[in-house]
Amino acid sequence: MQWFSISSPDRRLTFALVTMGACFLSACAPVQPWERGRLAQPGMALEADALLAAMDEHVYTSKEAASGSIQPAGGGCGCN
Amino acid sequence: MVLALMLVSVSPLLFASDRGELAPEFTLPLLASDDSQSLSDHRGHWVYVDFWASWCGPCRKSLPVYEALYQELAASNFRILAINLDEFEQDATRFLADHPVSYTVLWDPAGLTPATWQVQAMPTSFLLNTEGQIVQKWAGFELSHIEEIRNAMVQHQQP
Repeated sequence: MQWFSISSPDRRLTFALVTMGACFLSACAPVQPWERGRLAQPGMALEADALLAAMDEHVYTSKEAASGSIQPAGGGCGCN
Repeated sequence: MVLALMLVSVSPLLFASDRGELAPEFTLPLLASDDSQSLSDHRGHWVYVDFWASWCGPCRKSLPVYEALYQELAASNFRILAINLDEFEQDATRFLADHPVSYTVLWDPAGLTPATWQVQAMPTSFLLNTEGQIVQKWAGFELSHIEEIRNAMVQHQQP
């Protein structure tokens, strides 16, 4: 129970941070299936033009002479 | 802190929309019109309620199929109420210019009806019998739903 006596500055800071974090969490709300109109807009896509992005990737991997070179290395061979 | 926890834990109020239960009532404006219609206006008919939006991919496929079904069953006791959930009316009207339908299209930009009807996917549709009870519910769209609608109507019309 002694922890709740927020007298020391450290505890006060911790309490303030936890309270602030909880307040920010309250802004997280599930998006309902019928509320996804804005998310479905073309401007929300990671790639504005999927065809162009695929072409760019093709050119890049050709220049690198390695398929998949556009993505982070992760083969575990230590060669990249 | 208490307020924050309350805000996190509050879930939307949901109402029953299971088979055999009376479908929740609604009154909505017709799309691109000043008139409105209620579900109870169609009591005594088989009603197919379809929740859709212009940004919903499967709806591009489903609306023309529902239109064909509506034309086929126009002479029978069958009606379709399509509830559009677009935020902006012109998105829906533009969509319908490409995919015209002759059945009733209502507009619910606030999304109040899908919450009470427990819509869990887009599109979601319900078949109601002549007493306004939910006979069947479909989440998503597949062509096989059309045959299921016909079968459900036949089964429930048999004594």
